[in-house]
Amino acid sequence: MSTAHHDEHPTGIMRWLTTTNHKDIGTLYLVFALIMFFVGGAMALVIRTELFQPGLQIVDPNFFNQMTTLHALVMIFGGVMPAFTGFANWQIPLMVGAPDMALPRLNNWSFWLLPFAFILLLSSLFVPGGGPAGGWTLYPPLSVQGSMGTDFTILAIHMMGISSVLGAINVIATILNMRAPGMTLLKMPLFVWTWLITAFLLLAAMPVLAGAVTMLLTDRHFGTHFFNAAGGGDPVMFQHVFWFFGHPEVYILILPAFGIASQIIPTFSRKPLFGYESMVYATASIAFLSFIVWAHHMFTVGMPLAGELFFMYATMMIAVPTGVKVFNWAATMWKGSLTFETPMLFAIAFVMLFTIGGFSGLMLAIAPADFQYHDTYFVVAHFHYVLVSGAVFAILAGAYYWLPKWTGHMYNETLGKWHFWLSVIGFNLTFFPQHFLGLAGMPRRIPDYAIQFTEFNQWSTVGSYLFGFSQLLFVAIVIQTARGGKKAEAKAWEGAEGLEWTVPSPAPYHTFATPPRIK
Amino acid sequence: MPMTRLPESQRRAIVRTAVTLAVFAIALFVYTFWRGMSK
Repeated sequence: MSTAHHDEHPTGIMRWLTTTNHKDIGTLYLVFALIMFFVGGAMALVIRTELFQPGLQIVDPNFFNQMTTLHALVMIFGGVMPAFTGFANWQIPLMVGAPDMALPRLNNWSFWLLPFAFILLLSSLFVPGGGPAGGWTLYPPLSVQGSMGTDFTILAIHMMGISSVLGAINVIATILNMRAPGMTLLKMPLFVWTWLITAFLLLAAMPVLAGAVTMLLTDRHFGTHFFNAAGGGDPVMFQHVFWFFGHPEVYILILPAFGIASQIIPTFSRKPLFGYESMVYATASIAFLSFIVWAHHMFTVGMPLAGELFFMYATMMIAVPTGVKVFNWAATMWKGSLTFETPMLFAIAFVMLFTIGGFSGLMLAIAPADFQYHDTYFVVAHFHYVLVSGAVFAILAGAYYWLPKWTGHMYNETLGKWHFWLSVIGFNLTFFPQHFLGLAGMPRRIPDYAIQFTEFNQWSTVGSYLFGFSQLLFVAIVIQTARGGKKAEAKAWEGAEGLEWTVPSPAPYHTFATPPRIK
Repeated sequence: MPMTRLPESQRRAIVRTAVTLAVFAIALFVYTFWRGMSK
Protein backbone atom coordinates (compact mmCIF):
# COMPACT_ATOMS: atom_id res chain seq x y z
CA MET A 1 0.00 0.00 0.00
CA SER A 2 1.21 3.49 -0.72
CA THR A 3 1.85 5.99 2.03
CA ALA A 4 -0.87 8.27 0.63
CA HIS A 5 -3.41 5.44 0.88
CA HIS A 6 -2.33 4.87 4.48
CA ASP A 7 -2.95 8.52 5.26
CA GLU A 8 -6.66 8.25 4.42
CA HIS A 9 -8.90 8.83 7.39
CA PRO A 10 -12.31 10.41 8.09
CA THR A 11 -12.27 14.18 8.23
CA GLY A 12 -13.83 16.69 10.59
CA ILE A 13 -15.21 15.66 13.96
CA MET A 14 -15.52 11.98 12.91
CA ARG A 15 -11.75 11.77 12.54
CA TRP A 16 -11.31 12.62 16.19
CA LEU A 17 -14.27 10.65 17.53
CA THR A 18 -13.46 7.42 15.73
CA THR A 19 -9.69 7.54 15.46
CA THR A 20 -7.60 4.59 16.49
CA ASN A 21 -4.35 6.24 15.40
CA HIS A 22 -1.84 6.74 18.20
CA LYS A 23 -0.78 10.15 16.91
CA ASP A 24 -4.37 11.43 16.73
CA ILE A 25 -5.14 10.07 20.18
CA GLY A 26 -1.89 11.56 21.51
CA THR A 27 -2.93 14.94 20.13
CA LEU A 28 -6.39 14.58 21.70
CA TYR A 29 -4.84 13.83 25.09
CA LEU A 30 -2.44 16.78 24.82
CA VAL A 31 -5.13 19.27 23.78
CA PHE A 32 -7.45 18.00 26.52
CA ALA A 33 -4.66 18.36 29.09
CA LEU A 34 -3.91 21.91 27.92
CA ILE A 35 -7.58 22.89 28.33
CA MET A 36 -7.66 21.31 31.78
CA PHE A 37 -4.47 23.15 32.80
CA PHE A 38 -6.27 26.41 32.06
CA VAL A 39 -9.45 25.32 33.89
CA GLY A 40 -7.41 24.26 36.92
CA GLY A 41 -5.26 27.38 36.56
CA ALA A 42 -8.33 29.61 36.65
CA MET A 43 -9.30 27.91 39.92
CA ALA A 44 -5.80 28.53 41.26
CA LEU A 45 -6.14 32.22 40.45
CA VAL A 46 -9.45 32.36 42.34
CA ILE A 47 -7.62 30.87 45.33
CA ARG A 48 -4.67 33.26 45.03
CA THR A 49 -6.93 36.29 44.50
CA GLU A 50 -8.85 35.53 47.70
CA LEU A 51 -5.54 35.12 49.54
CA PHE A 52 -4.07 38.41 48.31
CA GLN A 53 -5.09 39.98 51.60
CA PRO A 54 -6.45 38.72 54.92
CA GLY A 55 -10.21 38.70 55.44
CA LEU A 56 -12.95 37.36 53.19
CA GLN A 57 -13.44 39.47 50.07
CA ILE A 58 -13.88 37.65 46.75
CA VAL A 59 -15.57 34.27 47.31
CA ASP A 60 -17.42 32.62 50.18
CA PRO A 61 -15.45 30.03 52.19
CA ASN A 62 -17.44 27.04 50.93
CA PHE A 63 -16.73 28.00 47.32
CA PHE A 64 -13.07 28.55 48.24
CA ASN A 65 -12.95 24.97 49.54
CA GLN A 66 -14.54 23.73 46.31
CA MET A 67 -11.83 25.58 44.38
CA THR A 68 -8.96 23.99 46.35
CA THR A 69 -10.54 20.54 45.93
CA LEU A 70 -11.33 20.84 42.24
CA HIS A 71 -8.06 22.61 41.39
CA ALA A 72 -6.18 19.55 42.64
CA LEU A 73 -8.45 16.98 40.99
CA VAL A 74 -8.44 18.83 37.66
CA MET A 75 -4.67 19.39 37.62
CA ILE A 76 -3.77 15.84 38.66
CA PHE A 77 -6.32 13.77 36.75
CA GLY A 78 -7.14 16.22 33.96
CA GLY A 79 -3.84 18.01 33.40
CA VAL A 80 -0.68 16.13 34.30
CA MET A 81 -1.84 12.52 33.78
CA PRO A 82 -3.48 13.07 30.36
CA ALA A 83 -0.51 15.19 29.24
CA PHE A 84 1.90 12.35 29.98
CA THR A 85 -0.50 9.87 28.37
CA GLY A 86 -0.50 12.12 25.29
CA PHE A 87 3.30 11.94 25.22
CA ALA A 88 3.08 8.16 25.66
CA ASN A 89 0.67 7.80 22.75
CA TRP A 90 2.71 9.94 20.41
CA GLN A 91 6.15 8.77 21.41
CA ILE A 92 6.13 5.17 22.61
CA PRO A 93 5.22 3.59 19.23
CA LEU A 94 7.68 5.94 17.49
CA MET A 95 10.42 5.15 20.01
CA VAL A 96 10.04 1.37 19.97
CA GLY A 97 9.46 1.13 16.20
CA ALA A 98 5.82 -0.06 16.45
CA PRO A 99 3.10 0.81 13.90
CA ASP A 100 0.64 1.85 16.63
CA MET A 101 -0.37 1.05 20.19
CA ALA A 102 -1.13 -2.62 20.80
CA LEU A 103 -4.87 -2.05 21.39
CA PRO A 104 -5.94 0.89 19.24
CA ARG A 105 -9.71 0.70 19.78
CA LEU A 106 -9.22 0.48 23.54
CA ASN A 107 -6.98 3.51 23.17
CA ASN A 108 -9.84 5.50 21.65
CA TRP A 109 -12.14 4.52 24.52
CA SER A 110 -9.49 5.39 27.14
CA PHE A 111 -9.37 8.92 25.81
CA TRP A 112 -13.08 9.49 25.23
CA LEU A 113 -13.94 8.48 28.79
CA LEU A 114 -12.04 11.53 30.01
CA PRO A 115 -14.07 14.45 28.62
CA PHE A 116 -17.25 12.89 30.03
CA ALA A 117 -15.57 12.28 33.40
CA PHE A 118 -14.57 15.92 33.61
CA ILE A 119 -17.94 17.23 32.44
CA LEU A 120 -19.39 15.20 35.32
CA LEU A 121 -16.78 16.46 37.78
CA LEU A 122 -17.07 20.13 36.82
CA SER A 123 -20.86 20.07 36.60
CA SER A 124 -20.83 19.30 40.32
CA LEU A 125 -20.23 23.04 40.78
CA PHE A 126 -23.80 23.67 39.60
CA VAL A 127 -25.72 21.17 41.75
CA PRO A 128 -27.32 22.09 45.09
CA GLY A 129 -24.56 22.40 47.68
CA GLY A 130 -21.92 22.83 44.99
CA GLY A 131 -18.89 20.72 44.18
CA PRO A 132 -16.74 18.59 46.47
CA ALA A 133 -15.22 20.75 49.19
CA GLY A 134 -13.43 18.32 51.48
CA GLY A 135 -10.05 18.40 49.70
CA TRP A 136 -8.90 16.17 46.84
CA THR A 137 -8.09 13.43 49.37
CA LEU A 138 -11.85 13.05 50.04
CA TYR A 139 -11.31 12.21 53.71
CA PRO A 140 -14.38 11.09 55.62
CA PRO A 141 -16.34 12.27 57.55
CA LEU A 142 -16.42 15.43 55.36
CA SER A 143 -16.77 13.46 52.13
CA VAL A 144 -19.55 11.30 53.60
CA GLN A 145 -21.44 14.41 54.68
CA GLY A 146 -20.76 16.43 51.49
CA SER A 147 -23.30 17.50 48.87
CA MET A 148 -24.33 15.40 45.86
CA GLY A 149 -21.32 17.04 44.17
CA THR A 150 -19.29 14.39 46.04
CA ASP A 151 -21.26 11.64 44.23
CA PHE A 152 -20.47 13.29 40.91
CA THR A 153 -16.82 13.30 41.97
CA ILE A 154 -16.84 9.63 42.95
CA LEU A 155 -18.36 8.57 39.63
CA ALA A 156 -15.96 10.85 37.74
CA ILE A 157 -13.04 9.23 39.58
CA HIS A 158 -14.34 5.81 38.56
CA MET A 159 -14.38 6.89 34.92
CA MET A 160 -10.89 8.42 35.13
CA GLY A 161 -9.70 5.25 36.87
CA ILE A 162 -11.07 2.99 34.12
CA SER A 163 -9.45 5.28 31.54
CA SER A 164 -6.10 5.15 33.34
CA VAL A 165 -6.13 1.38 33.84
CA LEU A 166 -7.04 0.74 30.20
CA GLY A 167 -4.32 3.19 29.15
CA ALA A 168 -1.80 1.43 31.38
CA ILE A 169 -2.74 -1.98 29.95
CA ASN A 170 -2.25 -0.57 26.46
CA VAL A 171 1.17 0.89 27.29
CA ILE A 172 2.40 -2.35 28.87
CA ALA A 173 1.02 -4.51 26.04
CA THR A 174 2.68 -2.21 23.49
CA ILE A 175 6.08 -2.13 25.16
CA LEU A 176 6.19 -5.85 25.93
CA ASN A 177 4.86 -7.08 22.59
CA MET A 178 5.46 -4.45 19.89
CA ARG A 179 9.15 -3.53 20.13
CA ALA A 180 11.09 -3.63 16.88
CA PRO A 181 13.27 -6.72 16.38
CA GLY A 182 16.55 -6.27 18.21
CA MET A 183 15.25 -3.71 20.70
CA THR A 184 15.87 -5.54 23.94
CA LEU A 185 14.46 -4.07 27.15
CA LEU A 186 17.79 -2.51 28.03
CA LYS A 187 18.01 -0.82 24.63
CA MET A 188 14.72 1.02 25.12
CA PRO A 189 14.82 4.82 25.45
CA LEU A 190 14.50 6.00 29.06
CA PHE A 191 11.14 7.63 28.35
CA VAL A 192 9.75 4.22 27.37
CA TRP A 193 11.24 2.62 30.48
CA THR A 194 9.78 5.23 32.81
CA TRP A 195 6.36 4.83 31.18
CA LEU A 196 6.50 1.04 31.47
CA ILE A 197 7.11 1.36 35.19
CA THR A 198 4.49 4.11 35.50
CA ALA A 199 1.94 1.87 33.80
CA PHE A 200 2.55 -0.85 36.40
CA LEU A 201 2.12 1.76 39.15
CA LEU A 202 -1.19 2.84 37.59
CA LEU A 203 -2.35 -0.73 37.41
CA ALA A 204 -1.54 -1.37 41.06
CA ALA A 205 -2.79 1.98 42.41
CA MET A 206 -5.94 2.99 40.55
CA PRO A 207 -8.05 -0.07 41.49
CA VAL A 208 -7.28 0.68 45.15
CA LEU A 209 -8.59 4.24 44.74
CA ALA A 210 -11.64 2.82 42.98
CA GLY A 211 -12.19 0.50 45.97
CA ALA A 212 -11.82 3.38 48.44
CA VAL A 213 -14.28 5.70 46.68
CA THR A 214 -16.74 2.83 46.15
CA MET A 215 -16.74 2.30 49.93
CA LEU A 216 -17.35 6.05 50.32
CA LEU A 217 -20.29 5.79 47.92
CA THR A 218 -21.85 2.88 49.82
CA ASP A 219 -21.31 4.73 53.12
CA ARG A 220 -23.12 7.72 51.65
CA HIS A 221 -26.10 5.90 50.16
CA PHE A 222 -26.35 2.24 51.05
CA GLY A 223 -26.13 2.20 54.84
CA THR A 224 -22.62 0.79 55.19
CA HIS A 225 -20.23 2.07 57.86
CA PHE A 226 -16.78 1.46 56.43
CA PHE A 227 -15.57 4.85 57.62
CA ASN A 228 -18.21 5.80 60.19
CA ALA A 229 -16.88 5.38 63.73
CA ALA A 230 -20.42 5.53 65.17
CA GLY A 231 -21.31 2.45 63.12
CA GLY A 232 -18.13 0.52 63.99
CA GLY A 233 -16.14 1.80 61.02
CA ASP A 234 -12.84 3.62 60.96
CA PRO A 235 -12.21 6.94 59.16
CA VAL A 236 -8.46 6.38 59.47
CA MET A 237 -8.79 3.25 57.35
CA PHE A 238 -9.83 5.50 54.45
CA GLN A 239 -6.63 7.47 54.89
CA HIS A 240 -4.56 4.29 54.73
CA VAL A 241 -6.35 2.98 51.64
CA PHE A 242 -6.34 6.40 49.96
CA TRP A 243 -2.61 6.95 50.47
CA PHE A 244 -1.79 3.40 49.39
CA PHE A 245 -3.05 4.77 46.07
CA GLY A 246 -1.96 8.36 46.68
CA HIS A 247 1.75 7.91 47.13
CA PRO A 248 2.32 5.76 44.02
CA GLU A 249 0.17 8.40 42.29
CA VAL A 250 2.86 10.96 43.12
CA TYR A 251 5.35 8.83 41.19
CA ILE A 252 2.85 8.25 38.38
CA LEU A 253 2.98 12.04 38.03
CA ILE A 254 6.77 12.30 38.10
CA LEU A 255 8.35 9.16 36.55
CA PRO A 256 7.41 10.12 32.95
CA ALA A 257 8.92 13.54 33.72
CA PHE A 258 12.17 11.76 34.61
CA GLY A 259 11.91 10.00 31.27
CA ILE A 260 11.46 13.25 29.32
CA ALA A 261 14.42 14.88 31.09
CA SER A 262 16.48 11.77 30.31
CA GLN A 263 15.74 12.21 26.58
CA ILE A 264 16.36 15.96 26.42
CA ILE A 265 19.49 16.41 28.53
CA PRO A 266 21.67 14.01 26.43
CA THR A 267 20.41 15.64 23.19
CA PHE A 268 21.50 19.15 24.18
CA SER A 269 24.66 17.89 25.93
CA ARG A 270 25.55 15.94 22.76
CA LYS A 271 26.54 12.99 24.93
CA PRO A 272 24.85 9.67 25.72
CA LEU A 273 22.91 9.55 28.97
CA PHE A 274 25.31 8.88 31.85
CA GLY A 275 24.47 5.66 33.72
CA TYR A 276 21.60 4.35 31.58
CA GLU A 277 21.21 1.09 33.49
CA SER A 278 21.42 2.78 36.87
CA MET A 279 18.63 5.11 35.69
CA VAL A 280 16.44 2.08 34.92
CA TYR A 281 17.16 0.43 38.27
CA ALA A 282 16.69 3.73 40.12
CA THR A 283 13.27 4.18 38.48
CA ALA A 284 12.26 0.64 39.43
CA SER A 285 13.52 1.19 43.01
CA ILE A 286 11.51 4.39 43.34
CA ALA A 287 8.43 2.54 42.07
CA PHE A 288 8.91 -0.25 44.63
CA LEU A 289 9.53 2.16 47.51
CA SER A 290 6.45 4.20 46.53
CA PHE A 291 4.26 1.33 47.79
CA ILE A 292 5.77 1.16 51.28
CA VAL A 293 5.81 4.80 52.34
CA TRP A 294 2.13 5.80 52.21
CA ALA A 295 1.63 6.56 55.90
CA HIS A 296 4.14 9.43 55.84
CA HIS A 297 1.11 11.46 54.73
CA MET A 298 -0.56 10.70 58.05
CA PHE A 299 2.17 10.95 60.69
CA THR A 300 -0.09 13.16 62.82
CA VAL A 301 -3.04 10.74 62.77
CA GLY A 302 -1.66 8.73 65.66
CA MET A 303 0.41 5.69 64.78
CA PRO A 304 2.55 3.36 66.89
CA LEU A 305 6.15 4.55 67.19
CA ALA A 306 7.39 1.60 65.13
CA GLY A 307 5.07 2.67 62.31
CA GLU A 308 6.28 6.26 62.43
CA LEU A 309 9.89 5.07 62.31
CA PHE A 310 9.31 2.57 59.49
CA PHE A 311 7.54 5.08 57.27
CA MET A 312 10.09 7.80 58.09
CA TYR A 313 13.14 5.70 57.17
CA ALA A 314 11.47 4.09 54.13
CA THR A 315 10.62 7.57 52.84
CA MET A 316 14.17 8.79 53.36
CA MET A 317 15.43 5.84 51.33
CA ILE A 318 13.69 7.24 48.24
CA ALA A 319 16.30 9.99 48.24
CA VAL A 320 18.95 7.40 47.26
CA PRO A 321 17.61 6.35 43.81
CA THR A 322 16.40 9.91 43.22
CA GLY A 323 19.91 11.15 43.97
CA VAL A 324 21.29 8.61 41.50
CA LYS A 325 19.09 10.20 38.83
CA VAL A 326 20.00 13.79 39.66
CA PHE A 327 23.73 12.99 39.66
CA ASN A 328 23.35 11.08 36.38
CA TRP A 329 21.72 14.10 34.72
CA ALA A 330 24.48 16.35 36.06
CA ALA A 331 27.14 13.89 34.88
CA THR A 332 25.51 13.77 31.42
CA MET A 333 25.91 17.54 31.17
CA TRP A 334 29.46 17.44 32.54
CA LYS A 335 31.92 18.36 29.78
CA GLY A 336 29.15 18.11 27.18
CA SER A 337 28.81 20.48 24.22
CA LEU A 338 25.88 22.20 25.86
CA THR A 339 23.40 24.46 24.11
CA PHE A 340 20.43 26.03 25.82
CA GLU A 341 17.39 25.82 23.57
CA THR A 342 14.01 26.06 25.30
CA PRO A 343 13.58 22.29 25.93
CA MET A 344 17.01 22.17 27.59
CA LEU A 345 16.25 25.27 29.68
CA PHE A 346 13.04 23.69 30.97
CA ALA A 347 14.86 20.38 31.56
CA ILE A 348 17.63 22.05 33.59
CA ALA A 349 15.05 24.05 35.56
CA PHE A 350 13.23 20.77 36.13
CA VAL A 351 16.34 19.13 37.60
CA MET A 352 17.19 22.05 39.88
CA LEU A 353 13.68 22.96 41.07
CA PHE A 354 12.47 19.37 41.40
CA THR A 355 15.50 18.78 43.62
CA ILE A 356 14.35 21.64 45.87
CA GLY A 357 10.97 19.88 46.08
CA GLY A 358 12.81 16.66 46.90
CA PHE A 359 14.74 18.32 49.73
CA SER A 360 11.59 19.80 51.28
CA GLY A 361 10.12 16.31 50.92
CA LEU A 362 12.99 14.96 52.99
CA MET A 363 12.25 17.59 55.64
CA LEU A 364 8.61 16.46 55.67
CA ALA A 365 9.71 12.83 55.93
CA ILE A 366 11.18 13.48 59.38
CA ALA A 367 8.23 12.41 61.54
CA PRO A 368 8.85 14.73 64.53
CA ALA A 369 9.39 17.73 62.23
CA ASP A 370 6.29 16.80 60.23
CA PHE A 371 4.19 17.32 63.35
CA GLN A 372 4.89 21.03 62.85
CA TYR A 373 4.81 21.13 59.02
CA HIS A 374 1.72 18.95 58.54
CA ASP A 375 -1.19 20.72 56.77
CA THR A 376 0.73 24.01 56.50
CA TYR A 377 1.71 25.99 53.43
CA PHE A 378 5.13 24.31 53.64
CA VAL A 379 3.45 21.19 52.28
CA VAL A 380 1.75 23.27 49.54
CA ALA A 381 5.14 24.74 48.56
CA HIS A 382 6.75 21.28 48.59
CA PHE A 383 4.31 19.53 46.31
CA HIS A 384 4.07 22.44 43.89
CA TYR A 385 7.86 22.33 43.49
CA VAL A 386 7.47 18.63 42.70
CA LEU A 387 4.39 18.89 40.49
CA VAL A 388 4.78 22.26 38.74
CA SER A 389 8.52 22.72 38.38
CA GLY A 390 8.76 18.92 38.26
CA ALA A 391 5.94 17.45 36.21
CA VAL A 392 4.65 20.56 34.40
CA PHE A 393 8.10 21.89 33.47
CA ALA A 394 8.97 18.45 32.08
CA ILE A 395 5.73 18.48 30.07
CA LEU A 396 6.65 21.90 28.66
CA ALA A 397 10.20 20.71 27.96
CA GLY A 398 8.86 17.66 26.14
CA ALA A 399 6.35 19.72 24.18
CA TYR A 400 9.08 22.05 22.87
CA TYR A 401 11.37 19.09 22.22
CA TRP A 402 8.89 17.07 20.14
CA LEU A 403 6.82 19.91 18.61
CA PRO A 404 9.04 19.86 15.48
CA LYS A 405 8.36 16.11 15.09
CA TRP A 406 4.61 16.55 15.65
CA THR A 407 4.02 19.65 13.52
CA GLY A 408 6.90 19.60 11.04
CA HIS A 409 7.88 23.14 12.05
CA MET A 410 10.41 24.66 14.43
CA TYR A 411 8.86 26.83 17.13
CA ASN A 412 9.96 30.45 17.64
CA GLU A 413 13.02 30.14 19.89
CA THR A 414 12.90 33.75 21.11
CA LEU A 415 9.30 33.40 22.24
CA GLY A 416 10.14 30.02 23.78
CA LYS A 417 12.87 31.61 25.89
CA TRP A 418 10.50 34.40 26.94
CA HIS A 419 8.00 31.74 28.00
CA PHE A 420 10.71 29.92 29.95
CA TRP A 421 11.98 32.91 31.90
CA LEU A 422 8.51 34.27 32.68
CA SER A 423 7.49 30.80 33.88
CA VAL A 424 10.55 30.30 36.06
CA ILE A 425 10.30 33.73 37.66
CA GLY A 426 6.52 33.52 38.08
CA PHE A 427 6.70 30.02 39.51
CA ASN A 428 9.38 30.81 42.11
CA LEU A 429 7.67 34.04 43.09
CA THR A 430 4.47 32.08 43.68
CA PHE A 431 5.77 29.11 45.59
CA PHE A 432 9.05 29.98 47.30
CA PRO A 433 7.41 32.38 49.80
CA GLN A 434 4.95 29.61 50.69
CA HIS A 435 7.79 27.74 52.42
CA PHE A 436 8.17 30.65 54.83
CA LEU A 437 4.40 30.93 55.31
CA GLY A 438 4.23 27.26 56.23
CA LEU A 439 7.18 27.38 58.59
CA ALA A 440 5.54 30.39 60.29
CA GLY A 441 2.40 28.31 60.79
CA MET A 442 -0.07 29.32 58.06
CA PRO A 443 -2.46 26.37 57.55
CA ARG A 444 -3.38 25.17 54.05
CA ARG A 445 -6.95 25.15 52.64
CA ILE A 446 -8.10 28.34 54.41
CA PRO A 447 -9.68 31.41 52.75
CA ASP A 448 -8.51 33.81 55.48
CA TYR A 449 -5.31 34.14 57.50
CA ALA A 450 -3.64 36.02 60.31
CA ILE A 451 -2.36 39.46 59.35
CA GLN A 452 1.35 38.63 59.77
CA PHE A 453 1.15 36.34 56.72
CA THR A 454 0.03 39.15 54.39
CA GLU A 455 3.27 40.14 52.65
CA PHE A 456 4.39 36.68 51.53
CA ASN A 457 0.84 35.95 50.35
CA GLN A 458 0.87 39.10 48.24
CA TRP A 459 4.18 38.08 46.62
CA SER A 460 2.69 34.66 45.98
CA THR A 461 -0.45 36.07 44.35
CA VAL A 462 1.53 38.43 42.10
CA GLY A 463 3.73 35.49 41.07
CA SER A 464 0.70 33.31 40.33
CA TYR A 465 -0.73 35.90 37.92
CA LEU A 466 2.66 36.20 36.19
CA PHE A 467 3.00 32.42 35.93
CA GLY A 468 -0.61 31.84 34.86
CA PHE A 469 -0.79 34.49 32.17
CA SER A 470 2.63 33.65 30.74
CA GLN A 471 1.19 30.23 29.84
CA LEU A 472 -0.95 32.01 27.22
CA LEU A 473 2.34 32.64 25.46
CA PHE A 474 2.82 28.85 25.27
CA VAL A 475 -0.57 28.46 23.61
CA ALA A 476 0.36 31.18 21.09
CA ILE A 477 3.68 29.45 20.35
CA VAL A 478 2.01 26.05 19.84
CA ILE A 479 -0.64 27.50 17.49
CA GLN A 480 2.01 29.45 15.58
CA THR A 481 4.19 26.32 15.24
CA ALA A 482 1.28 24.14 14.13
CA ARG A 483 0.34 26.68 11.43
CA GLY A 484 3.77 27.23 9.92
CA GLY A 485 7.33 28.34 10.46
CA LYS A 486 10.75 27.05 9.59
CA LYS A 487 10.57 23.48 8.30
CA ALA A 488 11.85 20.90 10.73
CA GLU A 489 14.20 18.20 9.50
CA ALA A 490 13.63 14.53 10.33
CA LYS A 491 16.30 14.89 12.97
CA ALA A 492 15.21 18.24 14.36
CA TRP A 493 17.98 18.48 16.96
CA GLU A 494 21.65 17.96 16.16
CA GLY A 495 22.33 15.71 19.15
CA ALA A 496 19.05 13.76 19.09
CA GLU A 497 19.22 9.97 19.04
CA GLY A 498 16.42 7.44 18.65
CA LEU A 499 13.96 5.95 16.19
CA GLU A 500 11.52 8.88 16.31
CA TRP A 501 14.15 11.03 14.58
CA THR A 502 14.48 8.58 11.67
CA VAL A 503 10.96 9.31 10.37
CA PRO A 504 10.13 12.57 8.55
CA SER A 505 8.84 15.67 10.35
CA PRO A 506 5.90 15.89 10.72
CA ALA A 507 5.68 12.17 11.41
CA PRO A 508 3.47 10.55 8.72
CA TYR A 509 0.02 9.34 9.78
CA HIS A 510 1.33 5.76 9.83
CA THR A 511 4.92 4.93 10.71
CA PHE A 512 6.92 1.71 11.02
CA ALA A 513 4.37 -0.41 9.12
CA THR A 514 7.47 -2.53 8.55
CA PRO A 515 9.40 -2.70 11.81
CA PRO A 516 12.94 -1.33 11.73
CA ARG A 517 15.77 -3.64 12.79
CA ILE A 518 17.80 -2.51 15.79
CA LYS A 519 21.49 -3.42 15.88
CA MET B 1 -7.70 2.65 7.38
CA PRO B 2 -6.54 -0.71 8.69
CA MET B 3 -2.83 -1.13 9.16
CA THR B 4 -0.87 -4.15 8.06
CA ARG B 5 -2.20 -7.06 10.12
CA LEU B 6 0.14 -8.17 12.88
CA PRO B 7 1.28 -11.82 12.90
CA GLU B 8 -1.20 -14.09 14.69
CA SER B 9 1.31 -15.03 17.42
CA GLN B 10 1.88 -11.36 18.21
CA ARG B 11 -1.87 -10.68 18.33
CA ARG B 12 -2.33 -13.58 20.76
CA ALA B 13 0.53 -12.31 22.93
CA ILE B 14 -1.04 -8.85 23.10
CA VAL B 15 -4.43 -10.24 24.12
CA ARG B 16 -2.78 -12.52 26.71
CA THR B 17 -0.91 -9.57 28.25
CA ALA B 18 -4.00 -7.35 28.26
CA VAL B 19 -6.29 -9.98 29.80
CA THR B 20 -3.75 -10.88 32.49
CA LEU B 21 -3.36 -7.23 33.47
CA ALA B 22 -7.11 -6.60 33.43
CA VAL B 23 -7.72 -9.61 35.69
CA PHE B 24 -5.05 -8.29 38.07
CA ALA B 25 -6.68 -4.83 38.18
CA ILE B 26 -10.17 -6.22 38.81
CA ALA B 27 -8.84 -8.59 41.48
CA LEU B 28 -7.11 -5.69 43.24
CA PHE B 29 -10.33 -3.65 43.24
CA VAL B 30 -12.30 -6.59 44.68
CA TYR B 31 -9.57 -7.28 47.26
CA THR B 32 -9.58 -3.65 48.43
CA PHE B 33 -13.34 -3.72 48.85
CA TRP B 34 -13.24 -7.13 50.56
CA ARG B 35 -10.53 -5.96 52.99
CA GLY B 36 -12.72 -2.99 53.84
CA MET B 37 -15.62 -5.32 54.63
CA SER B 38 -13.58 -7.72 56.73
CA LYS B 39 -11.96 -4.96 58.84
